[in-house]
Amino acid sequence: MSSLEELSHRHEDKAKLAESDAVPRGAPILELRGLQKKYGLVEALKPATVTFLAGEIHAIVGENGAGKSTLIKLLTGVIRRTAGEVFWCGRPVQLATPNEAISRGINAVHQEVVLCPHLSVAANMFLGDEMNRFGLMRKSAMERAAQAVLDDLGFQLPAGALLGSLTIGQQQLVATARAAMRGIRFLIFDEPTAYLTRQESAQLFRLIRRLRDQGVTIVYISHRMEEVFELADRVSVLRDGTHVGTRLIGETNENELIALMINRSIEQIYHKETVPPGDVIVETRGLSGPGFEDVSLSVRAGEIVGLYGLIGAGRSEFALGLYGRQPISAGEIRWDGKKVVIPNERAAMDLGIALAPESRRDQGLCLNLPIGLNINLPVYRRLSSGLVIRKGDEAENADRQIRDLRIKTPSRRVLASAMSGGNQQKIVIGKWLSHGARLFIFDEPTVGVDVGTKAEIYRLFGELLKQGAGIILISSYLPEVYELSDRLHVFRGGRLVASHNHRAASHEDVLTQAIGI
Amino acid sequence: MSVETTTESAPAPRKGTNILLGLTLLGLLLALWLALGLSTAAFWTPNNISNLLRQGAMTAILAVGQTFVIITAGIDLSVGAIVGFTSVIIAWLLQAGVPLWASILLTLLIGVAIGAFHGFGIVRMGLPPFIITLATLTSLRGIGLLITNGSTISISHEGFTNFSRADFLGVPSLFWMVILVAIPAFVFLHLSRFGRYLFAVGSNGEAARLSGVNVNRTIYLAYILSATCAALVGVLLASRIGIGNATQAEGWELQAIASSVIGGTSLFGAVGSVHGPLLGAFILATINNGANLLNVNSFWQRIITGLLIIVIVYFDQLRRRGSR
Repeated sequence: MSSLEELSHRHEDKAKLAESDAVPRGAPILELRGLQKKYGLVEALKPATVTFLAGEIHAIVGENGAGKSTLIKLLTGVIRRTAGEVFWCGRPVQLATPNEAISRGINAVHQEVVLCPHLSVAANMFLGDEMNRFGLMRKSAMERAAQAVLDDLGFQLPAGALLGSLTIGQQQLVATARAAMRGIRFLIFDEPTAYLTRQESAQLFRLIRRLRDQGVTIVYISHRMEEVFELADRVSVLRDGTHVGTRLIGETNENELIALMINRSIEQIYHKETVPPGDVIVETRGLSGPGFEDVSLSVRAGEIVGLYGLIGAGRSEFALGLYGRQPISAGEIRWDGKKVVIPNERAAMDLGIALAPESRRDQGLCLNLPIGLNINLPVYRRLSSGLVIRKGDEAENADRQIRDLRIKTPSRRVLASAMSGGNQQKIVIGKWLSHGARLFIFDEPTVGVDVGTKAEIYRLFGELLKQGAGIILISSYLPEVYELSDRLHVFRGGRLVASHNHRAASHEDVLTQAIGI
Repeated sequence: MSVETTTESAPAPRKGTNILLGLTLLGLLLALWLALGLSTAAFWTPNNISNLLRQGAMTAILAVGQTFVIITAGIDLSVGAIVGFTSVIIAWLLQAGVPLWASILLTLLIGVAIGAFHGFGIVRMGLPPFIITLATLTSLRGIGLLITNGSTISISHEGFTNFSRADFLGVPSLFWMVILVAIPAFVFLHLSRFGRYLFAVGSNGEAARLSGVNVNRTIYLAYILSATCAALVGVLLASRIGIGNATQAEGWELQAIASSVIGGTSLFGAVGSVHGPLLGAFILATINNGANLLNVNSFWQRIITGLLIIVIVYFDQLRRRGSR
């Protein structure tokens, strides 16, 4: 018996699961019948009937606002349903509180890790369920046990390290390992790979398959189609709060799923606008700074320059250096052919650079402030007469971006935190559209964003190019940079290691250069 | 793509709840006044009302300054000490024969300097706001005691000491000072772009920085405003009690923070207003005043104030959670 199974059994004993709750593999474990959720008059989830089978990987796909998060919240007891019935192991249940869901063995791993960064990996894995002897924690025993689980899963993480010292991707793996050793029977993954590197995703997938083989039911929510096809047994599609269908993975294809989700074909998503390139807007020569070294590249008006690489390869750091957020230690920046120094962010903005940063939560948005304030933040100078803001212009500017970008909100006064990932990304983009710029840097613009919003963002790139702007597109998602970039630069270990023209190299070549085998 | 379904959850717009809290506090204040008016004849006398307005005025000005700092997710523990220190400074300057206008100006400038020092400590030295302002709290009391050699400096300038007792249009001049501070503060916080920057810095400093907000300057600004408000209160206090004494205004920083929090300011930053702390300050003043009139042991006043903070902030939390 592996150490993971041992530990999860330890927990099962505690949970005192009733014998009658045992469900054979392939039989329904959780059935939703006419499950519905209304917020006031808004129907976030229209009556949905879905059956989850014991020991299957059930993917759920849909755009932002399609009702995926509502469904998860209903299943994990965070919110209560308006109508409908839920059957767990054939018996009707309430799922009224998170505790009820957890005690039945339903658990969720969220996109953003909610663990304690100042505790060790082992302490986090055992948090709330520590091993005790005579009321004292058995620290080294827990550390050994945690290490055994991590090794068993092939994660290669030190159990004694502080959680905060790991990358976000590694923390996600810890969160998953933590859920896996708690005797869960039903585990929901909400966009788990958004912050993971390729290797980390592969490790996670191995774990997910293993849990499935132990009879755990997995619900897997993702925007990445190739993951759904790689992993899932069945897939359910949501659109505008409606459950539009469930398919066996072998009996469907990407085109059908996308058609179900948005009524649009895949060719229309990576729509690339070809604009005759103009003059060079910006050029870096041997630019070095914290996290990147000797980067030379240029961006012309009307072209998209893609930066591909693994997380930590120096792309975002380069962008922050160019934007004046990080000091430049060597090299030079030329703007319209003239050498410039960019000491701070304001200088970059005044020059005509806009940066939609990598992390919406940490860098992009003031989440507990209204959408309108977020959109207007870079342009308040323009919206003020002397000291005082012109309220009418302030409202109009925010409302225009909300309308143009189709941000789904009842009002500009709603807090940014209430928005889904795609809408939050639109707020970040709206900030920079209202400011205006000649060079737009988009750092991971489509992480956690649904297919429909992705297509909208790509179309927007085309608009910007036509208006004579240049774009630097940073992405860890190869198909995106590959299809959209006029010129694709590959980063590895802080250096620019290869450059290709549009579609000049194969996916495999680019990937190999990024990983450096 | 259909856009008809809106967001997954639609919380009540923020502005509405802000006004709601303001109205609740105003209602509480009026209820207190009504109850005290019914239970004691001495409450609704012109004398007592003037007294109440004077009592509340100084805390109110401190609370407004404090609110700027708390909105940036900081804290200013030094304001009480600044009040005591600047009362010494102005008494000292007047004693030395410096003209009144110059004394006031210099005292306020000292407030600016103290605030700038706090900004320097936070921005340049990377000290937590709690620590740097705690340090000035104790140091300023010490410097004030050194200057006065542990005693007090009495003020003989009649015009200056009469000011705090004077009325204008039937309202105590000290209360006019609250209005004088509150109106520009309201314009600054709610109508100017710097107010928006305070909220943005308190919500997410990095996002504000990447949006071109000068975060360092915003932090300097908040602490300078808080310390300057405190210096102004120091001047007013010196005028009211006619002496400069470094040990005065003990614990006023906590009164100011309490007023601000009762007024709906979130200690986590990015939530606050100007009218909230004003109402909070006068609610606290009313409780103290009422307790005096009703002959409640002054020790009980402290306990009641503590309970009130818990109750009001708890209800505010419930309301926020409910609107999610």
